[in-house]
Amino acid sequence: MRYLRAAFARLVGVFTWHRTDDDLREELRAHLEMETAEYTRRGLPPDEARRRARLASGGLAQAAEAVRDQRGVPWLEGTVVDLKYAVRALRRTHLFTAVVVITLGLGIGANTAIFSVVRGVLLRPLPHRDGDRLVYLRHSMEAPGGENLTFSVPEVRDLRGGAPSFAGIAEYSSWSSIHETREGAERIAVGLVTGNYFEVMGLGPVLGRVTGPGDDGPGAAPVAVLTHEFWLKRFAGDPRVVGQRVTLSSKPVTVIGVLQPAPFFPDRVDVFLNLVNSAHHLGATMLEGRTHRMTEVVARLAPGATVEKARAEVAAVYARMQVEHREAYDPASHYRVAVIPFKEVMGERARPVLVLLMGAAAFVLIIAAANVANLTLMRSVRREHELVTRAALGAGAARLRRLLLAENLVLALMGTGVGVVIAVGGAGLLESLARRYSTRASEIQLDLPVLGFALALAVAVAVLLSFLTPLPGEGSLGGRMAGAAWRMSSSAGKKRLQRALVVAQIAVSIVLLAGAGLLTRTLVRLSQVETGLITEEVLTMEVPLPTSSDVSRSPAADSWAKQRYAEMRRQVAALPGVIEVGIGSPAPLRRSDVMFDVKAEGMAVAAGEAMPRAELRTVGPEYFRAAGIPLVHGRPFAATDGAGSGKVVIVNQTLADRIFPGRDPVGRRIAWSGEILKFSPLTEEWRTIVGVTRYTQDGGLDAEPRPVVFMPFTQFPAVAGALVIRAAADASALAPAAMSIVRRIVPMAPIENVMTLTQYKDATLSARRLNALLVSLFAVLAVVIAAVGIAGVLAFSVSARTHEIGIRMSLGASPRRVQRMILREGCLLLAIGLVLGLGVASFAVRILRGLLFGIAPDDPSTFIGVAALMAAIGIAACWIPAARAARIDPAVSMRAQ
Amino acid sequence: MGEKLDVQRGTLALMILKTLQVLGPLHGYGVARRIEETSRHQVTLNYGTLYPALVKLEQEGFVTAEWRASENNRRAKYYALTAAGRRRLARETRDWNRTADLIAAFLAPRRREEKP
Repeated sequence: MRYLRAAFARLVGVFTWHRTDDDLREELRAHLEMETAEYTRRGLPPDEARRRARLASGGLAQAAEAVRDQRGVPWLEGTVVDLKYAVRALRRTHLFTAVVVITLGLGIGANTAIFSVVRGVLLRPLPHRDGDRLVYLRHSMEAPGGENLTFSVPEVRDLRGGAPSFAGIAEYSSWSSIHETREGAERIAVGLVTGNYFEVMGLGPVLGRVTGPGDDGPGAAPVAVLTHEFWLKRFAGDPRVVGQRVTLSSKPVTVIGVLQPAPFFPDRVDVFLNLVNSAHHLGATMLEGRTHRMTEVVARLAPGATVEKARAEVAAVYARMQVEHREAYDPASHYRVAVIPFKEVMGERARPVLVLLMGAAAFVLIIAAANVANLTLMRSVRREHELVTRAALGAGAARLRRLLLAENLVLALMGTGVGVVIAVGGAGLLESLARRYSTRASEIQLDLPVLGFALALAVAVAVLLSFLTPLPGEGSLGGRMAGAAWRMSSSAGKKRLQRALVVAQIAVSIVLLAGAGLLTRTLVRLSQVETGLITEEVLTMEVPLPTSSDVSRSPAADSWAKQRYAEMRRQVAALPGVIEVGIGSPAPLRRSDVMFDVKAEGMAVAAGEAMPRAELRTVGPEYFRAAGIPLVHGRPFAATDGAGSGKVVIVNQTLADRIFPGRDPVGRRIAWSGEILKFSPLTEEWRTIVGVTRYTQDGGLDAEPRPVVFMPFTQFPAVAGALVIRAAADASALAPAAMSIVRRIVPMAPIENVMTLTQYKDATLSARRLNALLVSLFAVLAVVIAAVGIAGVLAFSVSARTHEIGIRMSLGASPRRVQRMILREGCLLLAIGLVLGLGVASFAVRILRGLLFGIAPDDPSTFIGVAALMAAIGIAACWIPAARAARIDPAVSMRAQ
Repeated sequence: MGEKLDVQRGTLALMILKTLQVLGPLHGYGVARRIEETSRHQVTLNYGTLYPALVKLEQEGFVTAEWRASENNRRAKYYALTAAGRRRLARETRDWNRTADLIAAFLAPRRREEKP
């Protein structure tokens, strides 16, 4: 209370200053007179009395200053003055100012931009009500494709019964549907959800309503909740959409509401539907099949429950399930369930990349700040005279510090301005990077907290810089004033600090260069990976048919679909310039998520070993030739491998090596196996291997080899299909003609992912390319700043030693010798920085481990290359000041003193 | 004259308030004289110490100030205690005495330990 009162009085004092200043002078004069009168009364002559009174009372001016400090808000007034002065001083030294502002701008800009991503993707609170109470359940096992198995409905039922820590467990399955409008058809991403989904997720509608428990069960009406994005994109944000009917996969669905904007999970979704929209989801297969896993599970913790408690309960329920249903959980595959906070799962993929970029950006800022520190140190030497004079005129150390702080603040704030501009410029690039790792990329924005972060960086840098500059010591005022007038003193301490900063810059640059080098080499290694097929001049396009969900149950729908695909193939093949057209699913280089266990005739799996699993792919006879996938043994499918003829398959090399090691698999028989087949159109009947293909790098160039079984397109329902078109030249030019054929044959089918295999391969690398690009950008920035740093320090050293060099040269030192002397000075710093940097880098690059491919984090050739590059740039930077030193004219330099 | 004592932070305000309580409204010079005399010249106050303290007390509302004619017809600024000032004086006197007792007790020689 008292403090507030005083603070208010002080603030008023700032604005009512003039009146009280006069008042005070008056008061002090009265005091002095009384004191003088007292001395006179004691018998001193008037002059002496006045002198004694002055002595006893202390200086008038000092008293006025002390009172002023007490009365107003001195730091506020002082700061305004300091800032004005700082701006003036910096305008005078515009080159210095420009270099510092740009350097700091780059450092602060990089950090601000990356921080905006970190905040948007990792830190921002989820829009979900009590989002920190949400958990995601991940079901996994140790086998390829087992990272996230999802759950079956019986499993979810068991969890509901045994985990009281959950207030609610919601089910979600990714599905797709074909949205038919008058303008055409498009495939949309659908989330099939239980009625409690939105309640559990803590999400509400912006329009209409979301689904509730009443929308569950076979009797419910099919309803749809649009996501905010889809509503804006497809319905232009029209509120009348609520209550309308839309056609999804040829069936009418009523739109009941629009969901609030929220990040998608796990995939992008256009429309949420209740389960009745999918006959499959209400069928016995789904409801009773313990291994029919296609449900994602999100749960909300009950009030008072903790994640730990939930984990324990889930573990107990799961252990019981494994005992009761041994057949569903092969012990060799190590099944388990993890309970993970939802926010963590959302940021899971982005985190390593962002940690890397954050680290790189922080390093750039460190280097930038070190450079600015060095520039400031040099300037402080040139300003020594000024500072000494100020000190002599009565400026205290705190006052001088404040002056420096004001200057540095002005510099840092200008730097922040530049930085924010850079961050705004880089936002697009970063968002496109973030989009590949997170569904929260749209939440990235340069909002107040991000700007606050930039500002905080600026202030931190300014404070740091202000305390780096040594102030003139009080003891040696006179001497320094005399000395500083002509001599730029370079105290040993200051010099050491400068050098330490340069060494640090070089070391940090090395770390960044090493990171950039490793990521770039990863990229090179990846692009050198053999895809296993001939990617040139192959155009692919996916054509899902609206009947896809019926083909498994309706032979008529299936044969209709197959006829359409055959017709497309025939007509596209007739286009000029087409060499071959194949039909298959999925398209080459894309991986199939349909995986089943495989057993080989006459080959038992050793006890304790997991069953081999393989991808199921369906292909027509021409697929391999069109896609350029070589057969290593046997024959491709033939037109005679029809629906009614003998069951045949082709396997890839990986599966052949796994189940028939060292033997020719052609002619042997394999079969799909496992509980889960009940839910598929497949049976455990034996199928004869007629060919073996080379392994192809499906699902990413860094993907682990996955066993594959190809089935004839005719011997499996046509749930999906893609056209693979091999052209004599320029495959992409065929796209318009091929698409118009497809549209004519199936007007209601969407055409997706029309791209050549080369384009597709390229696209799979784009995220890594962006990563490598960003880190390389940071590294280049760092090296440039460091090079400027070392050159600057040497140049300064040369100019401080001009006199000395002049003497050396007049005593007979040759220019070459002088140049060598300066070079040696620079190279020593460079060498220390290199050694230090390599040491730090060998630890720091460990965070890259998950992002590398085909190269070890401590790859010696990368490190050697990086060191050589830095050394070359460093020496080049040293050369300039060294050459200047060699050109010093002894006569001129000595006269200058 | 013996060595001068530094005026401890906060004690100067107490001295000023007490002086104003004892002598009634008084100008800065009078306050300084009185404090010097009471301290038997162990404390001397120059402008730079006294006036900031007075201004602070005035800002905080413990004293008021007004220009008046002094005893020998000079104009001087007279400071007077306010009600808040009186309360603060009472409180600080109590606190100070308590602290002084405590420190005295603390620093008193411990007889028991000195016995052989």
